[in-house]
Amino acid sequence: MSEHPDTRDLLGPYVMGALEPHEERQVEGHLERCESCREEAQELRLAHECLADLAYNTEAPPEDLKERVVAGMPRREPRRSFPTWVAAVAAAFCVLAVLGVILAPDLLGGRARASANLSPTDRAPDAGGEVSIQGTGENMEMRLKAWGLPPCKSEQYYELWLVEGDERVSAGSFTVGQSGRVDIMLNAPNFAASYPKVGVTAESDKDPRASHAKMLSGELHEL
Amino acid sequence: MDRVEDEILVRRLATGDERALSGLYDRYAGLVYGTGMRYLGDRETAEELVQDVFTSVWRNAAGFEPGRASFATWVYRITRNRATDLIRRRKARVRTVDGEPLFELGETDPSGELSQNFDMAVALSRLTPVHREVLVLAYFHGFSQREISDRTATPLGTVKSRTTAALRALRKAMNFDEDRLSADE
Repeated sequence: MSEHPDTRDLLGPYVMGALEPHEERQVEGHLERCESCREEAQELRLAHECLADLAYNTEAPPEDLKERVVAGMPRREPRRSFPTWVAAVAAAFCVLAVLGVILAPDLLGGRARASANLSPTDRAPDAGGEVSIQGTGENMEMRLKAWGLPPCKSEQYYELWLVEGDERVSAGSFTVGQSGRVDIMLNAPNFAASYPKVGVTAESDKDPRASHAKMLSGELHEL
Repeated sequence: MDRVEDEILVRRLATGDERALSGLYDRYAGLVYGTGMRYLGDRETAEELVQDVFTSVWRNAAGFEPGRASFATWVYRITRNRATDLIRRRKARVRTVDGEPLFELGETDPSGELSQNFDMAVALSRLTPVHREVLVLAYFHGFSQREISDRTATPLGTVKSRTTAALRALRKAMNFDEDRLSADE
């Protein structure tokens, strides 16, 4: 088929009936002589007919319906931590972190599924970190090790996010003290390793969305 | 969100991620609404069908098992069942002018055409954004090749070859889903 690229490129619009009359004659003349292009046209026609059928049966819903559908969903508790109890959770994490570092590989029974090296932003140029996701089935955990983060002030905390495009799914929050260091294990959704990126933001309100105060970010690589 | 598989979005839905719901809505609401308009006949009930279907998807996302069926198959079944429920409910209070029922129960998709439409929606979602764009403009907006060329500031010849490449990729994506279903069986 490579010897007649021009005609072959027209086969799509041809099966759609979207060519100029002279182009249509050109294609038909060629199809009479070329079996491989006839076969390809047949394949494209099948795709065309199925797609035309889909378009015929599809109708744009009213513009405000999406908003009503989303607003009408029964609420679920978001995976989210808030400042009022972050300190307590963070304290618990400190203990769990120590245990986690020692026991996690055995407890979880698995090697890391994905990992990321975290690079700093202008907000924390001396910061750095690593994230690894490990575990099996529903027992997935994320281990975050970070350093060089500015110590949290009152009501301030950090949040780890799974990131894809504009989407942000919280993997949990934590605080850091004067050391600027953290080493914690967080529960993770069992599909956490499917996200391409992770990031850490500084948060100081109850808005469940990620703030713009990005501190660390990195690409997640499945292992 | 364009390249994220349906099945991944459903898993995110199970965690309460409304953006995942929004992504799935963008892919399937037009087909569900079109199904409602076609089989139920009025906007109000078609909107009710969309509400019902996406509420069911939201509620049951955690129980969705991608190994048993694709998301498209799952949402197709929900749509068919909900449409049948709505037809049944309406039949209880409405008869057509000549006294015949609008549809016989279980006839929401007698030819399997609706099922095929859902499979095609999946195949379309597998294309690259450039390929999908040229097909969506042609098939869903009714633009000619020249109009697509003007709207996308792309040479007409490129639009034509791109349309061919996009239909070719779509045909392959259809094969992919057929092969996957055969393997599942």
